[in-house]
Amino acid sequence: MHIDNDAYTRERAQNLLRHIGRISLKTIWLMKLILFLTVFFTWSAFAEVSAQKVNLRVQNTSFKSVVQQVQQQTGYSFIIRDELFQQAKPVSLDIQDREVLEILPSLFQGQPFGYAVKGKIISATALKKQASSTDNHRSNAAAQQAIRGRVVNAQGEPLSGVTIYVLDSTGKPTTTVATSTDAGTFTINANTDDQLMLSHLAYFSKTVTAGLESPLNIVLQEKENLIDEVVVTGYTDYVRSKSPSATAQVGAQDINRVPMSSLDQILQGKVPGMNVISSSGQPGQSASVVIRGIGSVNGTNSPLYVMDGVPIEAGYFQTINPEDIETVNVLKDASAKSLYGSRGSNGVIVITTKKGKKGRLNVNYSSQYGFSTLTQPTFDMMDSRERLRFEEEVGLETGRDIGPGWTLSPKNSNYATQSAAWQQNANHVLDSLSAMNTDWRDLFFQDGRFMEQQLSLSGGNENVQTYNSLSLWNEDGIVKETGLNRYSLRSNTNMNYGKFTAGINLNLGYSNSRFTYNEGGTGVGSPMASVYYALPYEYPYTADGAFHATDADMPFYDTREGSRGIDVLYGTSDKTEQFKTILGVNMAYEILEGLKITTRAGIDFRNSVDQVFINPLSYIGKNQSGKKGSFEEGYRRNFNLISTSGITYNKTIDKHELELSGFFEYLQSNYKAFSYRGYGLDDRLPENPNAITVSTDYLPSLDGSRSASAMLSYMGIGRYTYDNKYTATASYRYDGASLSSVPAKNRWHGFYSFGAAWDAKQEDFLKSADFVSVLRLRASYGQTASPIGSSFTHLSLYAANTTYNGQSAIRPSNLVNPDYDWEYVDEFNIGVDLSLFNTQRIKLVADWYNKVTMNMFLDQTPSATAGGGSGGTIPLSTGKMGNKGIEFSLSGDIIQNRDFNWNIGINGAYNQNKILRVNDITDELADGDTRIIKVGLPYGTYYGPVWAGVNPDNGDALYYNQDGSITNVYNAEEQSVPLSSNMFPKFTGGISSSWRWKDLTLSTLFSFVTDVQRWNNIDFYIETERYMTSNQSKRMLYDRWKKPGDVALLQRIDVPRNYTSKDIQDASFLRLRNVQLNYSIPTAWLRKTFLKTANIFVQGQNLLTWTSWRGLDPENNRQYGRFEYPNARKYTAGIQVDF
Amino acid sequence: MLPACKQLDLPPSDAIDATKAFRNLEDVNMGVLGAYAPMTTSVIEAVAIVSDEVMLPTENTVSNTSSHRWLYNSSSGSVTSAFYEYYVTIDRANQVLAAIPNIPTNGSMQSLMNQYEGELLALRAYCHFELLRAYASSYEPDGMGVPYMKEHEVIYPARPTVQANFDDINTDLAAAKALIPGGFSDNTRITKTALSAIQARVALYAKKWDDAIAYASEVIAAEPLAPKNDFAKIWTDESEAEVVWKLARVAGDSRLGAAFFRETGEIVLYAPAFKLIDGFGTTAQRADDIRFASYIKYDPARGASGAKSAYLVNKYASGLVPNAPGLTSVKLFRTGEMYLIRAEAALEKDNSAAGIAAATKDLNDLRAARIYNYVHVTFPDKQSLINAILNERYKELAFEGHRFFDLKRRNLPVERRTEDAINTSGAVKLETTAAQYCFPIPEDELFVNKNMIQNPHYGEEQK
Repeated sequence: MHIDNDAYTRERAQNLLRHIGRISLKTIWLMKLILFLTVFFTWSAFAEVSAQKVNLRVQNTSFKSVVQQVQQQTGYSFIIRDELFQQAKPVSLDIQDREVLEILPSLFQGQPFGYAVKGKIISATALKKQASSTDNHRSNAAAQQAIRGRVVNAQGEPLSGVTIYVLDSTGKPTTTVATSTDAGTFTINANTDDQLMLSHLAYFSKTVTAGLESPLNIVLQEKENLIDEVVVTGYTDYVRSKSPSATAQVGAQDINRVPMSSLDQILQGKVPGMNVISSSGQPGQSASVVIRGIGSVNGTNSPLYVMDGVPIEAGYFQTINPEDIETVNVLKDASAKSLYGSRGSNGVIVITTKKGKKGRLNVNYSSQYGFSTLTQPTFDMMDSRERLRFEEEVGLETGRDIGPGWTLSPKNSNYATQSAAWQQNANHVLDSLSAMNTDWRDLFFQDGRFMEQQLSLSGGNENVQTYNSLSLWNEDGIVKETGLNRYSLRSNTNMNYGKFTAGINLNLGYSNSRFTYNEGGTGVGSPMASVYYALPYEYPYTADGAFHATDADMPFYDTREGSRGIDVLYGTSDKTEQFKTILGVNMAYEILEGLKITTRAGIDFRNSVDQVFINPLSYIGKNQSGKKGSFEEGYRRNFNLISTSGITYNKTIDKHELELSGFFEYLQSNYKAFSYRGYGLDDRLPENPNAITVSTDYLPSLDGSRSASAMLSYMGIGRYTYDNKYTATASYRYDGASLSSVPAKNRWHGFYSFGAAWDAKQEDFLKSADFVSVLRLRASYGQTASPIGSSFTHLSLYAANTTYNGQSAIRPSNLVNPDYDWEYVDEFNIGVDLSLFNTQRIKLVADWYNKVTMNMFLDQTPSATAGGGSGGTIPLSTGKMGNKGIEFSLSGDIIQNRDFNWNIGINGAYNQNKILRVNDITDELADGDTRIIKVGLPYGTYYGPVWAGVNPDNGDALYYNQDGSITNVYNAEEQSVPLSSNMFPKFTGGISSSWRWKDLTLSTLFSFVTDVQRWNNIDFYIETERYMTSNQSKRMLYDRWKKPGDVALLQRIDVPRNYTSKDIQDASFLRLRNVQLNYSIPTAWLRKTFLKTANIFVQGQNLLTWTSWRGLDPENNRQYGRFEYPNARKYTAGIQVDF
Repeated sequence: MLPACKQLDLPPSDAIDATKAFRNLEDVNMGVLGAYAPMTTSVIEAVAIVSDEVMLPTENTVSNTSSHRWLYNSSSGSVTSAFYEYYVTIDRANQVLAAIPNIPTNGSMQSLMNQYEGELLALRAYCHFELLRAYASSYEPDGMGVPYMKEHEVIYPARPTVQANFDDINTDLAAAKALIPGGFSDNTRITKTALSAIQARVALYAKKWDDAIAYASEVIAAEPLAPKNDFAKIWTDESEAEVVWKLARVAGDSRLGAAFFRETGEIVLYAPAFKLIDGFGTTAQRADDIRFASYIKYDPARGASGAKSAYLVNKYASGLVPNAPGLTSVKLFRTGEMYLIRAEAALEKDNSAAGIAAATKDLNDLRAARIYNYVHVTFPDKQSLINAILNERYKELAFEGHRFFDLKRRNLPVERRTEDAINTSGAVKLETTAAQYCFPIPEDELFVNKNMIQNPHYGEEQK
């Protein structure tokens, strides 16, 4: 038994099972097979079967009887249809002490079917062409020779179970068939000029000439979008046909190589119902990941990430190398999630990293280089000429002086009163200002360079297999001075000694992120805002090269806002170093057949070191306390520990198949933080704590935090399957939370699930229907919860971190809800898996779900008189919210032929959210300052006065009153209404496509998000009289009301700009997320080199975006768009080779 | 089934469990300091910005100037934030007051405990009074006041009348006065003299003239006016002369001066109004009046280019902490105000010759203390004297958070001079009938508290 193959092996086995699906299995084989498939974690239920040799002496014996003998002598199972047995020819053999794989060609020789080997399963494969040509072929037997070869995937890993056919002269397969072994090797009798076709369900078929080289070295390209075969939940691994769960799998080929440093971002557009939206274009920043709609308003919204059995922190993927990931399984429904009880309701993302495989050392090296660029926003700022004209117009219309365009204007009444010399100078100044056109994007943005190097070594023997990798990642951001460096190491070792198996998975990572200071800030000096605020006739340097952050030394006509941004850009640094360790150890021992004990322990440790330095020589440094910069450093340390122990029993009697498990789990989380900030830096000691001066006038500040939480769980899981057709599952988990989450009286809560699955294809009426190759129906219902925060919201607290007159003081720090209770989610799911045609040419997975969050956490804003201060809230657990929706993934091979293959896959999800209850007192709560939580409306609904346009007569801004009348008076509390716009998308998905022509593959991925609106807060700053001394959008010049009769977009220049429905703008987008062109160098060319496989590729990321959003980037999960770091467009090229 | 899981009993470590917060006198003192800590200056800033004390210079391209232009509404933080801030102090005071009866004290400790209790009651009364000044629909007895919180509660109260507020305030102040010992003299906290000063100001607003005279006299007796040589030092925190109660500000605290001058970029956000500057008379008269240079800085070099303001608010420019511009303590009560309260009360109480004489004396005494070569003046009638007192308050108490409320108290419009309104797009006069004549109740409060009523005229068509 080979531990190294675990999920991989199971998946392929199941392929075969379905491939020859119309079989009625013999009970004895079935038992073996079921035992094989119901493996637990990474351990198989099978005991190691010693590689027994075959001894046979049979004469004209029935094929069936021979097969039974072979099976009894070895650990191998045969899966062959009854009708094939009937067709089988009698066998005569004389074999002594031979390996099974060696005798198979003899055993199957002359039979009207071929065979395939997958692990310990040997199955019959129907031959497309019956024996008519066989005789011809056989007549040439004398010229034949044994062709040896080896099949690997694009990563150079050996592929077992690949069927190799010899083709006849018409290109049809003959009966000469072989199957690749675990090491990927095969031997087949053929003429040197024969064509060999290699076929495997999960890979594109390939045809090679037998005598091309010896031995043959063949690379198969993996097919995407197969209905995945094993549902990996982290606690159980069920064959998909026996699982009621709604899950989706993303494979290595979709994760590796993508030039995005954060795993969650790579998953965008790949899983129906999982919406991934980046939080920033800063390299390494994590995304917001929402599965099946927002399930919690104030609780945790992100899914639970579990890597090789160890829960890891969401949002900290900077040090995890996506190249190490083998599969990502996304658990979406209650039957799968409820195994995680109180942590599972937002979905669970089960990550499995690559494992070593038995066989010789495999070395894989990949490298890519590239660069990233700024995408163009859809708004335009004024250039110098426009800006000066704007200033003059404002002066003429209001008399207000907002710049030299008016101060020096001949139309200004002051002009005529001045001397001729003054006038001449004024004209000259205006001329030179209008000639100066600074594009501030050139000063703040850059083309960022990108580099990745990765090396992995894997291999092993019968008992121990390892996978080890090292990677290096250097990425510059598109904002100057930003970027990410990463170094990561992974080491996975698996052991199996008879009934004992064990594994160790280690991830060590270091990352160094360089951020831009105050991203999203709107103040003067925030670099991201300065790009747009800065006046086009400003330039930070004078002709002599001197930099001026203010007009203190030299008078300028501009506001110096761009220069202050430049000062901050170069005068500050904001860095985070992250050290992360994920370590998991697991062990299992099979006490009796079918009864196994398991235990595992894991830690997820992160230490983030933050450093903010403000250079004492910069202008911003001179404005710090003590006037000489500041230096801030701190750490945030998170330590999570998990320990799980359990027992699993499985038993199959006749058509009854049962699996029961019980587990005990303990989780602990510790968080510590500490930071200091000092002032008065000595400029000879930059970026060093020793530069700090400690003075009573500007004391350093200290800050820190400690918290701990824990959880105890007991759980039971059961599955029963009858006749491979009907499956029922149930689970129960009893979770106890520590005091930080809920009061002791509400400590324990039980979570459960029930599921049923029907594999309709196994029914007689479908068995022989070639057209339908897979048809399964699934249903599940259960209860889960999202993790509760650890903030002691039920306990009245005092904080000691306050002072008055320099003396320490204490203050109440929270408004309390002593009855705080669990928030939990009830979810119902039904789904269908359907594949059409023999080759699963068209596949559909569709699910419908209804999810209701009960006892939902809501923050009730009390009256100011409660003393909570502005923004103070009371945590409630009284809400109720529903999410229902459908999701589907549909894929198909549009063109399937030997040299050309075109595959397309579409996945989409429609989610409808609705608030069902707030609390006994009220049906609505304000949600931030622009949204409302109101019964009957979806969560995320925007709230505000409705914009009624601009009055053409006088340029007034007009607003709708609630009664529908129109007024020019803005009155938020009387006019605000829920707007029919929402910050969470309703319809999301992705479209992937790949074209393969011989060794060339082109793949594309589009992702889309529709029915989503965001608050465009940039307009508020660049289209407002309030800040019109800073640069404004061109619309302020061309589209504002100027004289009676103007039908204008923007109001008269002196009318204040207020928040209205027009600030809520459509943020739907369709984005060409990734395009990749790969060329696999034909192995024939590599024959004389030490390389096994080699690929070269080029790819582009975010190449095109279709959107009507007016802000910087539609893809951003902040509730407003405001000077955020936009996602970059990225181009890379690289190679990947195997030794 | 359920073991008594010790692993789950993880207590809070970042904060103190409320049941263990108050064990002894020292803990109570920390609670009292915690109530002083959030005392805010946002009303002082708002009053300057919405009144005729300041003007908006062209160089201020960075502030939200809607409030200065009287365009504020319930969502304008600059005028609504105080509504939240004062209730924070009130709530903290109430929570400590609730804890005090449970703390065992013996005889020698009782006096200190009494002082703490008195301070908390006084603080509660003062904060409600500040809320009343800012948010009452008028100062008449039947006006809409503010909810008066006597204990920590999560409720959604309606607005009591102004009279009910005055009653509660006076009850708390009287109770506090019986508790605070006379020997307690820390002027960063509420002393017995500070209590008298609060009572005097409350009486002025409540038009209780006898009380105003009596309480103002208590303060004047206890704390004489500053000598001329010390006056300027009051504002740099070098002198405590006549400072009855101030909010302490030490390194790291918020800076009141930053409301007028932004150090980053060296921008005068709001400059003293020319109306105020001219109120100090000719250049020679300004030189004689020690208040002028203390309150207003004239920097001709700065103004030379024409783009920048030559005048700056000097009152909060710097304190004892070096290199911390704008960081000064916040003087809430000074003896100077008491002279003006007593003068006004005396005149309102009795507008005969005796009243005029008493009021004139207080006014002249104050002026004499502030102006070199001062010559006493006389007033022919009540109105001219009232005008003089009001004008004197404008100058004496400039930038201390009074002007807007003084006008409101007298039902007078806010009027700016043309040269002070160059950047206000026409905001020259705020009529007493305008919504903005009262600060608005915050939008969030109206949203959650359906019993709360907005001040009049908000949301109505503007003229």
